[in-house]
Amino acid sequence: MIYSIKILWLLLKTQIRSQTQYRLSFLADVFTTAIFSSIYFLAFALILQRFETVAGWTLGEIAFLVGMTETSFAFMDLLFSGFDPDSFSPMVRMGSLDQFMVRPVSLTIQVLGSRLILRRMGRVLEGLAVLAFGIVTTQPDWTWLKTFYLPVVLVCQVICMGSIFMMGSTITFWTVERIEAVNILTYGGNELMSYPMNIYPRWLLFIFTYFVPFIFVNFYPTLYFLDKPDPLNFPVFAPFLTPLVAIGMALAAYWFWGYGLRHYQSTGT
Amino acid sequence: MQAFLKIVGISARQQMTYRTALVAGLFTNLFFGILRASLLIALYQGETSVNGMDVGGAITYVALSQAMIAYLTIFGNTEMGRTVSDGSIASDLIKPVHFILLWLGRDLGRSLVNFVVRGLFFIGLFSLFYSLYYPLEIGRWFLFFVSLIFSWLLNFFWRMLVNLGAFWSPDIQGFARLAFGFSQLFSGFVLPLRLLPDWFSRLSNWTPFPGMMNHPMEVYLGIYSPSQLLGAFGHQLIWLFILVFLCLALFRLGIRRLVIQGG
Amino acid sequence: MDTIVQVRHLTKEFRVLHRRSGKWGAWNDFFHPQYRTIRAVDGISFDIQPGELIGYIGPNGAGKSTTIKMLTGLLVPTGGEILVKGMIPWKDRRKYVANIGVVFGQRRTLWWDLPVIDSLEVLKAIYRIPDPLFKHNLGMFRKILDLDSFLESPVRSLSLGQRMRAELCAAFLHNPALLFLDEPTIGLDVVAKERIREFIRHLHREGTTILLTTHDLTDVERLCERVMVLDWGKILYDGNLQELTSRFEGVNEMRVSFAENGEDGLLEGLEPPVREGRYYVYRIDPRKVSIPDLVSSLYRTHPVVDLEIRKPKLEDTIRKIYENKSLNTPD
Repeated sequence: MIYSIKILWLLLKTQIRSQTQYRLSFLADVFTTAIFSSIYFLAFALILQRFETVAGWTLGEIAFLVGMTETSFAFMDLLFSGFDPDSFSPMVRMGSLDQFMVRPVSLTIQVLGSRLILRRMGRVLEGLAVLAFGIVTTQPDWTWLKTFYLPVVLVCQVICMGSIFMMGSTITFWTVERIEAVNILTYGGNELMSYPMNIYPRWLLFIFTYFVPFIFVNFYPTLYFLDKPDPLNFPVFAPFLTPLVAIGMALAAYWFWGYGLRHYQSTGT
Repeated sequence: MQAFLKIVGISARQQMTYRTALVAGLFTNLFFGILRASLLIALYQGETSVNGMDVGGAITYVALSQAMIAYLTIFGNTEMGRTVSDGSIASDLIKPVHFILLWLGRDLGRSLVNFVVRGLFFIGLFSLFYSLYYPLEIGRWFLFFVSLIFSWLLNFFWRMLVNLGAFWSPDIQGFARLAFGFSQLFSGFVLPLRLLPDWFSRLSNWTPFPGMMNHPMEVYLGIYSPSQLLGAFGHQLIWLFILVFLCLALFRLGIRRLVIQGG
Repeated sequence: MDTIVQVRHLTKEFRVLHRRSGKWGAWNDFFHPQYRTIRAVDGISFDIQPGELIGYIGPNGAGKSTTIKMLTGLLVPTGGEILVKGMIPWKDRRKYVANIGVVFGQRRTLWWDLPVIDSLEVLKAIYRIPDPLFKHNLGMFRKILDLDSFLESPVRSLSLGQRMRAELCAAFLHNPALLFLDEPTIGLDVVAKERIREFIRHLHREGTTILLTTHDLTDVERLCERVMVLDWGKILYDGNLQELTSRFEGVNEMRVSFAENGEDGLLEGLEPPVREGRYYVYRIDPRKVSIPDLVSSLYRTHPVVDLEIRKPKLEDTIRKIYENKSLNTPD
């Protein structure tokens, strides 16, 4: 375990070093990423000038929702760069994965360490800015439990979306080509959780409550943080299911990744 | 011409081989379409018409714009730029077809497949979830398709323009991402321009971007008055000329640079 | 000595999409894909003893890479057994790969943007190479592979030959007892190839067991005593290199030029020669004619100016084997 973490850190350190070599172009990259990422929230803020609220949520409240999921998604995107299906698929195709497999270190560690796209920091910053805007405009009533629970939720979100990333990459073992459908759960999941989820059709809500329980990852915790009434009448503990969902998804991802690897070993590419 | 058609044909055939990717893309578009439609429905809540567009129109707008993502390559790509960076452009430059025409053929072939698989099939699937508007006049269909062809060309030359930057910079990824981000916003892809504040849509009309998405959508919905219709086509044509001119000029400069510096 | 690699009835099958041609081929593939099973490796068996340097050759698609992938634990066989140093490669992969070194000629192990030395440091941590051993090995390889000039340069700026030298160093830092080299000389120029071969020779002298896959038969001629020839997933020949040449292609070439012009060149017991300029070229089957006897009698009876015996090229021999698949491997 310690050995694995040591190797991971060593791998990441080398990544950081080579990416920050040219400081100015690196900072410019972070900055453009931040601008690019804010485009969708910006568009939403603009449309609210005509409509004022959506499903009873103000711009500030939406900003809280968006800020949470943006921050954790972006952080996950940074940390799990190696498992980004976009970069994992070429790894399978070009045989880098074979290279990893002939080394005596856990493959997961090597994939995580293979890539760290630092410019994604820009999106983390954007997410944090939107979250800060949301908190300042909504002025939530902070209790000690809320203060403690907020970072827990953020960590759980990172785990949930990281698991999805891993599962998405695992599918590449069968398809080789990058599968755009994975975006449904990664980028799509982020988008889905950016708005109050009761606006979606019933069947969709059902899927994201009982199969991929995204509803407990951002929507319910946010209802709790902002003391908003629950439009769907779930039990009162619904906002506190987040850690459970995170653990469940992490386990599922771990299992599926192992299963995919076994498949890869039996078919190659 | 023969060579050009051949390129289109090969590229289309190539695109057909990405079976799983096509189907997967179709479902991704569908999912995002449902999310976007849900958001607009929630926004409309109770309002019948906002700035000349009703809920049904807004949903149809979302459906069409999602269906055209792959056909128009709305998210952009840096394929051509990459051939400059890695030097594989050389094999394209020795072909007896103008470089830009070569890429036009390639993109067209792919787009035609995408138009059917990720466009028409998409509309079919999406209409299972939401009822869409279909124009009853032949004339409007005709105008829509003409406008759609123009918007394809605008998207192509915008993409080419961004990619031509690769002649001057070894890494255009960041710049391209930002450029395509802006074109998504100002083209009305992210949200219909009509629903954004007036100052914003006025601002966007000074850019080529509304012609890349918003115009064909509104032509389809029949929102434009005859004079606005003329304006929209004029806007598309003028910007098409400007972009074609810019691309040709930059290409010539870029090639000279490439030849002098040896790549 | 114990056998280090044991392979028995090894088989690997793949299912591949069968692409159809024609106007509607792509369309049909889209809606009704057809698959067929191909057998990339078809029941092969062999043993490798410690210290052997074996050439594993065959045309493209013969199943060489698939075999290597199974031997290195990347692929699970469809059938048969592999035992390397008492381990089943794909089962205890992580433990197993610490004992082997692998170089894939067409892939890169080293971190693209990092200086070579940084990559080596990372590998040092990965393989838990103790400091003294690392220093000793690095010092030695720097000399043999002449790494000094580019040790501090990022990998992406190296030439292909330099990169391959760095790769070889990387693959051997942890002193593996068994080394798999998959096309290590591919795309290199003659000088670079020779340097790589020198290194392989050095490792062989040190007692490393090496399985060398290659397209370049010169590699095999220069390096290997034992060769395995593979085609269509089957081993066509496994044995001594010399024996291979004499067994399958008996015909040598003797080129002679005589002092007196107008010589008809007819010799007893040989076919009439072909003239190439000053030279008369005879085809000789060494199994029928003793070459030393022939040469000495020739010098006695004829005014020989120049004489040269050419052995058949390995390439030609191998081609013969591919063309004539009915030949059985020696017992």
